[in-house]
Amino acid sequence: MDIIRKQTVKRSDPEKHPGGTPLAKAPRIDLGTEIISKERYTSVEFMQLEWDKIWTKTWLLGCREDQIPEPGDFICTNIGTESVILVRQKNNEIKAFHNVCMHRGNRLADEGLWHAESFVCGYHGWEYGSDGTFVDIPDLDTFQQGKPPCSGLAELPCDTWVSFVWFSLNTEVEPLEEYIGDLVGHFEPYHFERMAMTRWVTAEWNCNWKAAVDAFAEAYHTATTHPQLKWYLDDFDIQIDLYDKHSRYLIAFGLLSPRVESVGEIPPPLKFLLSDAGIDPASYEGPINGIREAVQKQKRATQKEQGKDFSELHDDQLTDDYNYLVFPGVTFNTHSDDLMLYRHRPHPSDPNKCLFDVWMFELIPEGEEWPELPKHDFRPEGSTRSLGLVIDQDAANLASVQAGMNSAGYPGLWLSDQEIRLRHFHNTITDFIES
Amino acid sequence: MELKLSGLRVIVPASTKGIMRRVVEQLIDEGCDVAICSRSEDSVARALRELSGGRGKAIGRACDVLDKEDYESWIEEMVAQMGGVDIFIPGVSAGGGSDSERNWWKNFEVDVLSTVRGCETVIPHMQAGGGGAITFITTTAAVETFGGPQAYNAMKGSLLVYAKQLSQDVGKDKIRVNCVSPGPIYFEGGSWEMLKDTMSKWFSKIERDHPGGRLGTPEEVANCIVFISSPAASWVSGTNLMVDGGFTKRVQF
Repeated sequence: MDIIRKQTVKRSDPEKHPGGTPLAKAPRIDLGTEIISKERYTSVEFMQLEWDKIWTKTWLLGCREDQIPEPGDFICTNIGTESVILVRQKNNEIKAFHNVCMHRGNRLADEGLWHAESFVCGYHGWEYGSDGTFVDIPDLDTFQQGKPPCSGLAELPCDTWVSFVWFSLNTEVEPLEEYIGDLVGHFEPYHFERMAMTRWVTAEWNCNWKAAVDAFAEAYHTATTHPQLKWYLDDFDIQIDLYDKHSRYLIAFGLLSPRVESVGEIPPPLKFLLSDAGIDPASYEGPINGIREAVQKQKRATQKEQGKDFSELHDDQLTDDYNYLVFPGVTFNTHSDDLMLYRHRPHPSDPNKCLFDVWMFELIPEGEEWPELPKHDFRPEGSTRSLGLVIDQDAANLASVQAGMNSAGYPGLWLSDQEIRLRHFHNTITDFIES
Repeated sequence: MELKLSGLRVIVPASTKGIMRRVVEQLIDEGCDVAICSRSEDSVARALRELSGGRGKAIGRACDVLDKEDYESWIEEMVAQMGGVDIFIPGVSAGGGSDSERNWWKNFEVDVLSTVRGCETVIPHMQAGGGGAITFITTTAAVETFGGPQAYNAMKGSLLVYAKQLSQDVGKDKIRVNCVSPGPIYFEGGSWEMLKDTMSKWFSKIERDHPGGRLGTPEEVANCIVFISSPAASWVSGTNLMVDGGFTKRVQF
């Protein structure tokens, strides 16, 4: 389905709007046009390289700060073959530990959200405080050598950024702020801390974790995979910004795709956009491609009465999707009223599988009551329960993509300029592997 | 069969795209002179360019059918330019929607009121010319529950009532009044193409609900509109012709 109309998205001018999320286009880097070897998605060796050079070296997303609000609240989350505990301290800080008893190596907790005054191993009863230090080792006098020389659980670097808790399996890792680098300042204006977590789902997908990252880092697939979105967004005139490790693209919502012509009536997805902003679609008399601007104006004008504060956001951010990849595996789909966050995790042993986490957040107007934290919802391989239309459409491709990648007839990824973020992603992977 | 349309003068408002455009093309092929309009000047200019060189002639200008004065003077101008009017085919609509009360006002003003104004403007000319034919484009959604209760369905239904009663009134003047009610019609650039993308499950259900397993084409509807508007249908008046491939399930006694 080709482009049939010339359309240029009007964007907020970075010169006129110096504060807030940086708008300026990042300088284009020449990344070449080489084919990207499919073994990166299928081989156990490459998977091991990624583990050694990326997953155990970089900062990783753990949870939301408000999932563990009280001292003793902790989350246990797995990454590859490792398992990590993130626990709120009495002084309100958060500490991260390897989820393993120093005695015989038993796991202390299962994945999920928990509360405990101390961690007690279920095997022999070794007990650790919330701060990880030894509290009790039953029959300590029967250990001739005494207790282990460490102070307790193996601690890991842990820090917070934009309401999220991050950790690293690398005790020598650079500070989080340095790792986030170019993206510092991008998310702060959204105030994610004003958004409540409404969904927490993990799905086992039959594809490499990078195939899942790829599905959310290019819009070339939109017209074919998500035909409904042609009537909601411009999938072609997209600002793509490649940073040091991370990347983003800015997709204008509230417009028809240049792949379709107006049919003279407002398509249902744009009607929802108008209604959500408090504009009656039947009373909207402007052109269909004027909906984006009308919604921006309306949201700006009514933010106070709606108990929302968009003062730090640019007009574009009131409608558009600012989609970020925080390397290695977190997709932030940021919007003024919600955040759709996808965490892509590798499978512990199989390059053909991954764990896809969906974390949804909604802006809660001031004074309104927050919903309870969502319970974790696990979708084992083969689950047919919906994750929402758009994700379902993506998921439907991925198992088939992974199977095809394993075919002898397929050499690797042949990418367009529209998919430049994938090339950049692979370049970053190469940089880490070669470092 | 001879439709006997050659040389007849036809007015088709809002006709630069879709089904109504197909009607205009067929009428020109049959040798009619046809007056067209649309809100957009560009659309009218493009359509006139594309319609030129046929058996009949196309004329027209931009006109807003919601504006009583503009619409009525457009009709008068077209009648004057063609030297009379034999056929009037209003198929203007604000479309579906149940967003607010505003939908009711829009469907009343666009679908109903513009049709009534159009009829009242052309009928004196048809009476003076010794007769004519008027064909309303209504919808299957006026006779069977479809897409939820909404203004579009109800206002199109009121056109069915108006058409029947008008046919009784002007029959003595040799003016026939009929309705053609299409079911869902698919074409590139049409609403059903958009609905196929945006409401794909519903679209598939609608497809399956057609005995033929598909939606209709503009050609299939235009054929019926052109026939019922033509002198070949001289003994047909006050009826509502369903053009839906059997989509509606009611028995039409």
